[in-house]
Amino acid sequence: AVRAVAGAGAAFISVLPSKEEQSQVELELRLLQALEFYPPSKLKGIHRHFILYGLMEYLRKSLDRQFSADEVLQLLDRFFNLEMLKPDDDEKDNFGQTEEFALPDNFFKKED
Amino acid sequence: GRQLQHDHDHERRRRRRRREGQGQGQGHRARGSAVSFTEGEKVLAYHGPLLYEAKVQKTENREDEWRYFVHYLGWNKNWDEWVASDRLLKLTEENVRKQLELKNQSGDKTVRTGGRSAQHNPKGSNVDAKADKEDTKGLVKGKKRKNQLGVEEKERRSSESLLMSQFPVTLKKQLVDDWEFVTQLGKLVKLPRSPTVDGILTKYLEYRVKKDNKISDSCAEVTKGLRCYFDKALPAMLLYKKEQKQYKEEIKGDVSPSTVYGAEHLLRLFVKLPELLSSVNMEEDALNKLQQKLLDILKFLQKNQAHFFLSAYDGDSKGADGAKGK
Repeated sequence: AVRAVAGAGAAFISVLPSKEEQSQVELELRLLQALEFYPPSKLKGIHRHFILYGLMEYLRKSLDRQFSADEVLQLLDRFFNLEMLKPDDDEKDNFGQTEEFALPDNFFKKED
Repeated sequence: GRQLQHDHDHERRRRRRRREGQGQGQGHRARGSAVSFTEGEKVLAYHGPLLYEAKVQKTENREDEWRYFVHYLGWNKNWDEWVASDRLLKLTEENVRKQLELKNQSGDKTVRTGGRSAQHNPKGSNVDAKADKEDTKGLVKGKKRKNQLGVEEKERRSSESLLMSQFPVTLKKQLVDDWEFVTQLGKLVKLPRSPTVDGILTKYLEYRVKKDNKISDSCAEVTKGLRCYFDKALPAMLLYKKEQKQYKEEIKGDVSPSTVYGAEHLLRLFVKLPELLSSVNMEEDALNKLQQKLLDILKFLQKNQAHFFLSAYDGDSKGADGAKGK
């Protein structure tokens, strides 16, 4: 949208996006920024809920409003075919080998 | 602390003496009273003045001297170390009696009441033995860093985590009791539990909705995440060895652990969360917020401790393990 802005004694035309367009662009920008921390590839693995949580938080903080999980997923859908994502390999790192549970030593220390 | 430093110096001197007396004969048996141990063997190992049940992970013969890489049972892997045979004893009745003797000897000096329940007396000496271990940890920290980067990193993350530093004290005690029941007394949590992990997380959400008067999407996502972690993590890292058999018997086919296990094992998941979440690479602010939420869940568990947790474990892990408790 083009708006004409009339100043004192002079008329000039500036190209300004509408408020909606601006916020849409900013939203997409923020989302793409967020993906630097929260790669979409991790959206299929065991960490997916926390990745989604991270995205929700990032957007909430940068755009100052609440985002639902669905909203974020819909946004992502615009850029990625979420169905086609393959789970990350890091699942193997965490759960490949069985490891016996052990409490940290400081749990056994006497509390004051 | 000082006693242990002395022991360590003494040991170093002892080892040096042994190396100097080398070449007396072939094989480790040539060393007079030196006994040999095999990989996988359960033993009793000296750490400071006390004996602990341990397992030989690796063996090595270097310059005609046998050394054993031992893991102390029930202790964090960070304590695993190479020891010479003079630190080890065969796991026999006689030696187990010696272990008890030593514990009782040091027990008189170190048993303190104040605040802790006097239920489990052996724990008295255990607690302080563990405190002693804390001292030696400081001493040998430099050495350990060389070999165990992966474990060190996990430990660091755990110790720096907000979640761990604010872990409710009564829940810490719950976990220590849990450790004692399973690893020392050969007991098991009777399955299936009620409420289950699934049930507890649902109850938490309901509690939050009532409190906030709205449904928080982020809270819901967090509980979903925990359920997801629990189902995968339970067999991989949340069980003590003695619970493996029970797991195989109870969880068959498609059954989700979160529908069978309860608060006891959910609590163990929280101990592993800093490690698990490190894969997520969360932004600092988001991670702090998340940890606040996780602490809130812990406080919810604490509030309902009497309802959610068993005060005694009935099951028995007999047959799962040869050596049982002390």
